[in-house]
Amino acid sequence: MKRLKYLLLMVAVMAAGVQLAGSLPARAQEPSLKVSPAVVHIGAFFNGETVTVKGVIPAGAQAVLEAVGTSAEEHLMRKGRRGFLWMNVGKITVHDAPSLYMVASTSKDLLTSATKEAAWGYRSLEKHITFSGDITAAERPEFMNQFLQLKESENIYASHPGALKIESASGGQSLVTGSFYLPTTTKPGTYKILLSVIQDGKVASRASADLQVAMVGFPAMLSNLAYGHGATYGIIAVVIAIVTGFAMGFLFKGGGGH
Amino acid sequence: MLNLYLPLAGNSINILLLFGLGGAVGFLSGLFGVGGGFLMTPLLIMVGIPSTVAAASDSNQIVAASTSGTFAHYRLGNVDFKMGIYLLIGGVIGGTVGVQFIKVLRAMGNADFVIKVTYVIMLGVIGFYMFMESLQSMRKKPVEARRVEAAPAKVSLYNRMIQALPYQTYFEKSGVTLSPLLPLILGVFVGILAAIMGVGGGFIMVPVMVYMLRMPMHVVVGTSLFQILFTCINVTIMQSISNHTVDMILAIILLLGSTVGAQFGVRLSKRLKADQLKILLASIVILVMVQMLVSLASAPHLLLAYKGGH
Repeated sequence: MKRLKYLLLMVAVMAAGVQLAGSLPARAQEPSLKVSPAVVHIGAFFNGETVTVKGVIPAGAQAVLEAVGTSAEEHLMRKGRRGFLWMNVGKITVHDAPSLYMVASTSKDLLTSATKEAAWGYRSLEKHITFSGDITAAERPEFMNQFLQLKESENIYASHPGALKIESASGGQSLVTGSFYLPTTTKPGTYKILLSVIQDGKVASRASADLQVAMVGFPAMLSNLAYGHGATYGIIAVVIAIVTGFAMGFLFKGGGGH
Repeated sequence: MLNLYLPLAGNSINILLLFGLGGAVGFLSGLFGVGGGFLMTPLLIMVGIPSTVAAASDSNQIVAASTSGTFAHYRLGNVDFKMGIYLLIGGVIGGTVGVQFIKVLRAMGNADFVIKVTYVIMLGVIGFYMFMESLQSMRKKPVEARRVEAAPAKVSLYNRMIQALPYQTYFEKSGVTLSPLLPLILGVFVGILAAIMGVGGGFIMVPVMVYMLRMPMHVVVGTSLFQILFTCINVTIMQSISNHTVDMILAIILLLGSTVGAQFGVRLSKRLKADQLKILLASIVILVMVQMLVSLASAPHLLLAYKGGH
């Protein structure tokens, strides 16, 4: 079933790609990209969403696709052993780490064998992210690795070498297609989608588009109420619980949970 | 896949999983006659709900469970409102203090650790006490009569202490005379624990009422539920204002599951003996405690974690 879905998806992507290649302007150097959907809605039944990106790059070039969330300070705790228990032993503040980072490349070695100079992928992130707090300079590489693993465990950071499909198209251009999965824990906000053309190990040109993630419907209403009017939200939560408690009590002749 | 997005928890979880979790805990609570909050919060943490959201939403869920319970006991005349109100005032003060305490701990980054350690200690003490007590009563049934005779001499020091407290009052429904300060102080203690652990406090309150306030068992359950109801109302509102950690959707699904599960638990409980039930509950309590202790003692997969129980 999964394979069939995958095949159908591939066929759809290829058909759309051919159409896109025909419709996009034939500029040889400037890449172009199209994100679909352009807006992701977090509704009552949100279960993550796969976002597909199609782009056109000059023929013969390689490409890297990145999805980047906004950067903010993050406060983390480092764990350590005290006696026989593991507990938080210090604070580490992380600066300039994006809230979401996903990267895919046309050629695997663009990510697996990237040099420190690379302006894409985890190597690029490592240059921008800084730590402060209870951490020494010598511990930085270890905690950088821990930080990336923490984010990967939450599915909000991911690196997919070779996952960006490339096909030759007409007019001296190549068509690239990639997708990434926004997990259920994705926060509302604006995310940047970047398509970089890589030539001779350097970024030759770059195109970008915005991806909006917005909470809508019932979750949005509830979230606004909880953060904007905490007391009202609390009272409503209590009233609903009491009414349901009574209703269930009557339904089961006062059995309750006790 | 019936996934529902929980906006305050910031994650989407399978409805059937939550309903099943509510049902399983409700089943146990119906079987053993306890609120079940002490089991629900750790289970929610295990399925990926942030611990502070799990604890606060569980308090909201307990409001529903204790509403139907209190109503049923009120109709049977098993609620000592006078004692309940003193415990309640103490509980409200304790709950408010507890919520602020959690707020400070979240800022310091050790909220999760304190919640877990409080659990381990409380579950350990209560689990072992119940286990030993029911094991003794199962083995030494004939000796019980003699132990009751010997008891007054043993507790006379405690009796003298509580009789020395000022404002001695007669509590008609419970048939005891003591200072209102005692239920007030004990209420504060249970209220703080309830807020920290996200439980109604029933499994702490019941032994406190039986052993420390000397109330008869049938009044204890009804009065405990009455007190738990209001303590949890207070905790739900305070958590909503201070920490924004009450997920209403999560609470509603859990309470629907738990009220249904409780009915099946009550039916099974009628077929089992009281000591068998106690030993079974004590074993579950000890099992949960050991699981939490192991998770605190074993090396974590990662040495970095989010602050404030993310």
